[in-house]
Amino acid sequence: MKALVLLSDGRHPVSGRPAPAGTELQAIALARGLTEEVAGLYAGPDAAAARTALGHGLARLEHRRLPEGDDPLPSLAAAIAAAAPDLVLAGRRAGAGAQTGLVPYQLAEALGWPLVPDVVALTVADGVLEAVQALPKGARRRWRVKLPALVTVHPAAPVAASFAIGMARSGHVEDAPGIDAPQDGTALEERPYRPRPRLIASAAAGASAAERLKAATQSAGPGGRVMVDPTPEEAARAILEHLRALGVLKPAPGRD
Amino acid sequence: MSRTRRDPREEREARRLAGSGRPRWRLDAPPTSGRLRRDPRREIDALRVAGTTRLRLDRTGRAGPLALPTIDTAAVAAPTIRIVDDPAYLVTVVPDAPGGRLAPLDRQLLGAARTLADAGGGAVLVLSFGQIDGLGAAGADRIVALDAESGDPSARAAALAIALAALQPRHMLLPESAGGGDLARRLAAKTGEALFAGAESLTARLATRPAANRRIEQRGAPPRLVTLAPDAHLPHAGAPHEARAIAAPEGRADAPHTGILSIEDLPVAADALPLAEADFVISAGNGITDFELFRALARALGATPGASRMVCDAGLMPRAAQVGASGTVLEASCYFALGISGAPQHLQGVARCEHVVAVNTDLHAAMVERAGLAIIADAQQVMPALIALLTAEGEE
Ligand SMILES: Cc1cc2nc3c(=O)[nH]c(=O)nc-3n(C[C@H](O)[C@H](O)[C@H](O)COP(=O)(O)OP(=O)(O)OC[C@H]3O[C@@H](n4cnc5c(N)ncnc54)[C@H](O)[C@@H]3O)c2cc1C
Repeated sequence: MKALVLLSDGRHPVSGRPAPAGTELQAIALARGLTEEVAGLYAGPDAAAARTALGHGLARLEHRRLPEGDDPLPSLAAAIAAAAPDLVLAGRRAGAGAQTGLVPYQLAEALGWPLVPDVVALTVADGVLEAVQALPKGARRRWRVKLPALVTVHPAAPVAASFAIGMARSGHVEDAPGIDAPQDGTALEERPYRPRPRLIASAAAGASAAERLKAATQSAGPGGRVMVDPTPEEAARAILEHLRALGVLKPAPGRD
Repeated sequence: MSRTRRDPREEREARRLAGSGRPRWRLDAPPTSGRLRRDPRREIDALRVAGTTRLRLDRTGRAGPLALPTIDTAAVAAPTIRIVDDPAYLVTVVPDAPGGRLAPLDRQLLGAARTLADAGGGAVLVLSFGQIDGLGAAGADRIVALDAESGDPSARAAALAIALAALQPRHMLLPESAGGGDLARRLAAKTGEALFAGAESLTARLATRPAANRRIEQRGAPPRLVTLAPDAHLPHAGAPHEARAIAAPEGRADAPHTGILSIEDLPVAADALPLAEADFVISAGNGITDFELFRALARALGATPGASRMVCDAGLMPRAAQVGASGTVLEASCYFALGISGAPQHLQGVARCEHVVAVNTDLHAAMVERAGLAIIADAQQVMPALIALLTAEGEE
């Protein structure tokens, strides 16, 4: 089985130096749990960040050279078609650039492969991939998809292997020209980032300090129901009924 | 009680007399605050005894009660439903609405859609997978129910692509959450539409989003497909809208992807979940003495156990279980507090929980006030009753 990990031209969030994105390194660790044959794929001008990923457990890196600002999609699709891997893994967002997280989806569409988002665990049996997707609030969802498939990796996946300089040195980089795909100049204007205040919905804008404190600590809904001194059995029944009405507790078995 | 704040400049501007070059104001107009104001001159005039040159006042009250000047306090109108009959364009919204209830981000999304629609006489159309409550109050004009049979997001994206082609909305907004973000990207890849992902501010003319590890802000007119980051827009606060259900657009969805064999939700072990991720938290305070019983109850309910600081300080529960300002701030939808007084530091941790259930011996505890259902009883006796009831139901 062959796995291919998509690498971006990542930048370290603090220092700004070339560094692969965290989820891409986790993708390498996940892929190595399935197979020994894990290669990296990067399309772009400078493979400095992708090269560091070699030290985290990649044996080989394919670099498709592109001029600055070109769309990597055709080169990636062509490289994947040529390498014919069974599984392609990608990070959640690129480590730099626009960080829309759109490339894996566009690739899956172009290749006609199924895509499983936010994966935290992978197993393969008989050409069927079993992937566990992480959802908010700790929920998990299991997908069974036929290979070949594309997955994106969630930060809750197992941690990446640490960097080993010997591996990074011995790793092999295959350099080939990519398919030029100039993009029609970015329609979006760019400026230095300015953090915006989060808008807190519960306290209306311009409310007094007392009202904002109240909104932060008191319930928004209508006043609650109070039961004074019920017997424990009555209390238990009322609580269970209430929890079921809210939908946090499954309906009682035998009743619907 | 607090009064709304007066803006004297605006009040004066409302009384400006049109015409003359010099600014002049109508001074007889009643104050806009609606509070009655005494006019001592009028009162004196009413008491004045007629026919004498010297000022004499009749204070015996024979003149009868003074007729109050009529001030038209704007009658508080009953909430009327706003109807947008002939919209100039559509703004479609695809809320996550887990379990048929609007999540906070969904409300913010509808608020943003309202702003976009109201900028030019448009209407907000919700594309829902399954029944969703409270859409009218959240600002939706129309609802289109789409087929929600499969939980397969690629099938849903296909349904959205059909709706997008048929309705030709000016904007389609999705939440930048796990589900909504995935759907938006599938839709963008499928239709080739440009996606403005994770907008942090959104108006009809300008949207901004962070890029390059939050070093760059990208800005531009919002394209058709936009996902909205959490807490970037206020929910709709105005009059409710009609939320009229209309028929789904015709169109044949392509067959689901043959590569996808099955998708199923896995059961989660609630007690192994980190508190910050948990959806249902049961928490013990100083009023609880039997912690074995408490943990058994948490297991029986399938809730994640938490505790107040008093309990964690005493070493009865691990520090990781502490809820509150110096512990974990919960994102749970339901919080069940046993024997917790509800100190402000504790309540801050519960601020984002939608529902609270409390058991406390003290009727005047702050937690009881915060709770949707409060039981004034001994928690040590309610816990075994709950466990007994749950096991009895399980055996039935
Ligand atoms: C800087 C600072 C930070 C803090 N941060 C936190 C924090 O993050 N989290 C936190 O929880 N606290 C925090 N605290 C502590 C907080 O102020 C309170 O002291 C604490 O929350 C009280 O915990 P409690 O409600 O369990 O105990 P108590 O205040 O003692 O309340 C016990 C409650 O149980 C009820 N009760 C008693 N017996 C029974 C019974 N048999 N059945 C039912 N009810 C019963 C009582 O009526 C009472 O309401 C902080 C304090 C400070 C100063």
